[in-house]
Amino acid sequence: MNRFVIVTLLSVSLVLAPGSSLANPGGNGDADRDYSCGGSCHGDPSLSMPSDATIEITLGNEAFSGQAVSVEVTVSDVSSPSNIVGIFLLSSLNGNSDTPEDHGWHIIQDPNGGSSNYIETKMPPSGSIAATWVLLSPETLGSNNLYAEIHHGSYGGEKAYTGVSEAFEVFVNDVPEGLPGMSNEWVAPSFRVSGDDSPIHISTRNSTDISVEWMIEGEWEPIPAPVQCTSDSEGGVCNDWEVRIPATMGEIEIIYRITTYNGTFSIKQPWLKMGTAPPPFEGDIWSARAHSFAFALLVISMLVSLQGRLSPTVKREEIDEKGLVDNSSLIRSEDNPGWLWNPETGEWVEDQEYKEGAE
Amino acid sequence: MESRNRGMGGRPGIQRGGRVMVSSATLHTSMAEVVVGSMVLATICAVGCLASRALAPSKINNESLFITMDRASLAGSFLALVFLPIAIMTGNLAAESHSSSALLYNKFVYSGLALGFWAAFVIGRIRLGEALWEARQLAILQSATACMAFLMTTISASIGGKLSRGESLLDLLPFSLPLDSASILPLWASSTLLLLGIISTTVVFRLTLLRVHITD
Repeated sequence: MNRFVIVTLLSVSLVLAPGSSLANPGGNGDADRDYSCGGSCHGDPSLSMPSDATIEITLGNEAFSGQAVSVEVTVSDVSSPSNIVGIFLLSSLNGNSDTPEDHGWHIIQDPNGGSSNYIETKMPPSGSIAATWVLLSPETLGSNNLYAEIHHGSYGGEKAYTGVSEAFEVFVNDVPEGLPGMSNEWVAPSFRVSGDDSPIHISTRNSTDISVEWMIEGEWEPIPAPVQCTSDSEGGVCNDWEVRIPATMGEIEIIYRITTYNGTFSIKQPWLKMGTAPPPFEGDIWSARAHSFAFALLVISMLVSLQGRLSPTVKREEIDEKGLVDNSSLIRSEDNPGWLWNPETGEWVEDQEYKEGAE
Repeated sequence: MESRNRGMGGRPGIQRGGRVMVSSATLHTSMAEVVVGSMVLATICAVGCLASRALAPSKINNESLFITMDRASLAGSFLALVFLPIAIMTGNLAAESHSSSALLYNKFVYSGLALGFWAAFVIGRIRLGEALWEARQLAILQSATACMAFLMTTISASIGGKLSRGESLLDLLPFSLPLDSASILPLWASSTLLLLGIISTTVVFRLTLLRVHITD
């Protein structure tokens, strides 16, 4: 009875132990996503709760049509912090076609170095995060709205939290003809492979010259980088450039700023970030499969031989011959040493235990 | 958006041509759960068998308990051994998007090690029979094999968590295993190693079969 109660209690405890579950505590990865990720836990009213975080949007510089602008999203006062926070930069809250790209913006770089409107980042102990997107402003002049939304969980994992900012109005100004800026097609590289010092390609428009200054994240003194025009310049305008920034190793991040010139007129673009990635993995999947089965067979052979070695063995002679003499009617004869008489068959059998000269 | 519903509680099956299809990732998860569950049972029972023989007989530690644990460990490990290749194959199909990563390479290697340890456990138990628990050294070897197999399976399953969800229970450990980097062998070296494995297994089976038959 006692044993039955113990086993029942143990089983019930084991069943109840993983009661609370988390959908995607490791996040879903950076991507282009619409408002609330329709169908997700954070978008489901029965599974989500409003986050009490304060979400603010600020502009790093004035927005001009087709020109780069930095948009900073600040998330603070998160009272139920989780390991990871997802931040959206949106142009509407319709639930579809909400990304800035859908509304004429072009993301040059997101806070993680990519070009997505949704990014995931670790929640620092302070509970406050600042994330900066660098975008090209839309061609449409006038008022454009931007929103920031956050998704996060909690350490308990019982609810999916969601929060959205007020609409942030960005007034896009007209620009004079021929204003130098970044190309609509260009996306800033998010990282370079460790040790790679190949030049970085930059596309501009209406530029007669560019200058690039760079520094390692955390430093204060920018260093100018050599630049070179790589396309035929027409009327002094060159829109394809190569810039040489020294190779980086480890986890170093470089920040750099491009200044575009048209004659004597210059525009400083927002700071951009470039990380260092480890060299690409060069393993072959078939090699991994062969490696795996080789290890399996080697482990089997090693353990089976060990089992054979450790197994208690009984010698064949002991089984056959002792048993034969002890458990049968074989008779030793003093007249015929080394031979046993089998009365059942009437034949002589060789005595395996007989040693010449021994008694 | 293509990635919007991915991994966020989406539907388990997809209707294609009137038939319900299940993704290889879902199938792999269910197979892995069967394998891990069976292996937990087998490992606990294998260690229990060793403890049962090491401790003095009592009201709880009786022959009936020992026989139950021995058979449960055999059944659990046998079931796991049947499902492990299926889990590996479905994992192969599910891993297309991670075809070049150190984590995946390590998952293959650890899966192979797990397969080897579990196969050795089952082979040992079937060939040597229940009597293997009576020989102290063999019993220790058998329990250690089960523990190593369980460890390899756990690491392999944790790498799966890292690949699909970006985290695993191993993150809770006070130290980190170097799973993000792999010792890569070129194909010719892996193939040579595989050939060596086949030869050594064949030789070992031919030599030890005779020995075990004599013992029996």
